[in-house]
Amino acid sequence: MKHIADLIDGFQDRLGRSLAWLTAAMVAVTLIVVVLRYGFGIGAIALQESVIYMNSLVFLAGIAWTLKENGHVRVDIFYSRFSMRTRNLVDLFGHLLLLLPVCIVIFIWCYDWVLASWRIREGSPEVGGIPAVFLLKTLLLVLPSLLIVQIVSESIKLVLALRTGGDSQ
Amino acid sequence: MMELIPLFMFAAVFGALLLGYPAAATLAGVALAFALGGAALGAFDLSDLGFISGRLFGIATNQTLLAVPLFVFMGVMLEKSQIAERLLDSLTGLMSGAKGGLAIAVILVGMLMAASTGIVGATVVTLGLIALPTMLNAGYDSRVATGTIAATGTLGQIIPPSIVLVLLGDVLSNAYQQAQLQQGIFAPNTVSVGDLFAGALVPGLLLVALYMGLILFIAWRKPERLEASAARTREKPSMKTLVLGISPPLILIVAVLGAILGGYSTPTEAAGVGAVGSVLLALAYGKLNVGALRETSQETLKTTAMVFFILIGASIFSLVFRAYGGDELVRSTFDAMPGGEIGALLIVMLVLFLLGFILDFIEITFVVVPIVGPVLLAMGFDPVWLGIMIAINLQTSFLTPPFGFSLFYLRGVTPASVDTRNMYRGVTPFIGLQLLMLLLLAAFPALATWLPYAIR
Repeated sequence: MKHIADLIDGFQDRLGRSLAWLTAAMVAVTLIVVVLRYGFGIGAIALQESVIYMNSLVFLAGIAWTLKENGHVRVDIFYSRFSMRTRNLVDLFGHLLLLLPVCIVIFIWCYDWVLASWRIREGSPEVGGIPAVFLLKTLLLVLPSLLIVQIVSESIKLVLALRTGGDSQ
Repeated sequence: MMELIPLFMFAAVFGALLLGYPAAATLAGVALAFALGGAALGAFDLSDLGFISGRLFGIATNQTLLAVPLFVFMGVMLEKSQIAERLLDSLTGLMSGAKGGLAIAVILVGMLMAASTGIVGATVVTLGLIALPTMLNAGYDSRVATGTIAATGTLGQIIPPSIVLVLLGDVLSNAYQQAQLQQGIFAPNTVSVGDLFAGALVPGLLLVALYMGLILFIAWRKPERLEASAARTREKPSMKTLVLGISPPLILIVAVLGAILGGYSTPTEAAGVGAVGSVLLALAYGKLNVGALRETSQETLKTTAMVFFILIGASIFSLVFRAYGGDELVRSTFDAMPGGEIGALLIVMLVLFLLGFILDFIEITFVVVPIVGPVLLAMGFDPVWLGIMIAINLQTSFLTPPFGFSLFYLRGVTPASVDTRNMYRGVTPFIGLQLLMLLLLAAFPALATWLPYAIR
């Protein structure tokens, strides 16, 4: 089982670290947009929209890696005083009873909506925008999918840790 | 019974949050449990969940919130270029002659860092690591030293450009529109992130002045709690070193703020340019390399994902909360409250203050403000003023023992020889100043509202 978790973690690591560079790209593209607009009076709609695309990709696909990296904020006034075992139990039950249902609901309730967008190859509402809104909407399915994959990995690690009484990290 | 379900929802999510599972998933998970349970009992219409797609897409394409990753990038990059160390170095050099000079230098550095990073934890930890040992060695009473650092660290909430104000601005502008639509105003006034930045400027600087005033008061009445000797401990830096040390970050902040307040650019554009500026600053300080860029990008991604995930969780929560009539419940409760508008405001402020002990500002902004905001705004409170009141209120909460976040962060980097009780005593006068600021703002709303309307 351990190697499945390792495989998933390795994949999310690579994905998350690659996506991270997009934040630097967002900074650069925003600068270009500003220079074009204030320097040359050019409104570059497609470039402006590309920042939105990058940001969506960054967080919708990055939330799963952030889960793996334990980067999601917790209310930890009690959690920080729990024993390792209690913490692992909180996390395991949280993954399976809170996060997993959320992912399933998001996937099911967005599926038809995304499909409808694909059917008409939905483009930008703006003239000169990026004609790929259907891809942007697809990210709403990527979010729960990546999260479910990571839940599998986290749960394996937690169950192993609970058995051996060690740390899941 | 049915109409009390939102109340149970709130209680359930609050209890679940205390277990410590990531807040975003807890908010959404508990809400969905109520939705699915309600559907099984015929009390909830599952087709309401169809709004999830539109809500999430709205979050993904939100133009205002694009400023978040860019401001985070700027803040992390500035942290990596060790700007705080440089600033503290130049300023303590300048001030080390006078009683209380070191504390004043720390407050000024905290103010500049607050304006550039806007992240409470980061400012408190950095100042705690670099300034606290210096202050203690110089002979500062541990109460004064820790109090100054903990309080200064919370300035990031209020001094623009701050991420808190970006999030609050987005939420308040929605709440304001909703409040006006309910009153039948179909060409509603708007409130923007820029308005909040402008509104926060005077109260933020006033707080800095109050903090410095407190240090001067201590220097006058209890000089033994400050530097052991007023003798100059180090060479006064040359004018050139001083200018080179202080001006680059100052120019960056003034440029970013000026562009937004002057109406030249949107906060998102200014944040992007500011982020480029932070990279150039790192380059100038010789701290720019592939490793620094990689770390900055990765931290930016994680922070952005964290913020947006809470936003997603909170929006699913509020979707179900609304479907169960939660808005109605809040409104009717406020209407039935004695004391009218003022009573309602006091209750909200008290609740936010108490919630601030447990939740951090992102959760409060996304979960609580959308619920109470429209009701308060419909009562006629000014949106900018309300936003600044909320920000200062939460800032005070983060400073208040025994639960204040700022104190937790500082405790983490403070030597064990400093008693926690002394830290608590140290922040008490600063909490007093915060409350004074809230009272001033309540008595003179123009402190917050004058600038944004003057520059419109």
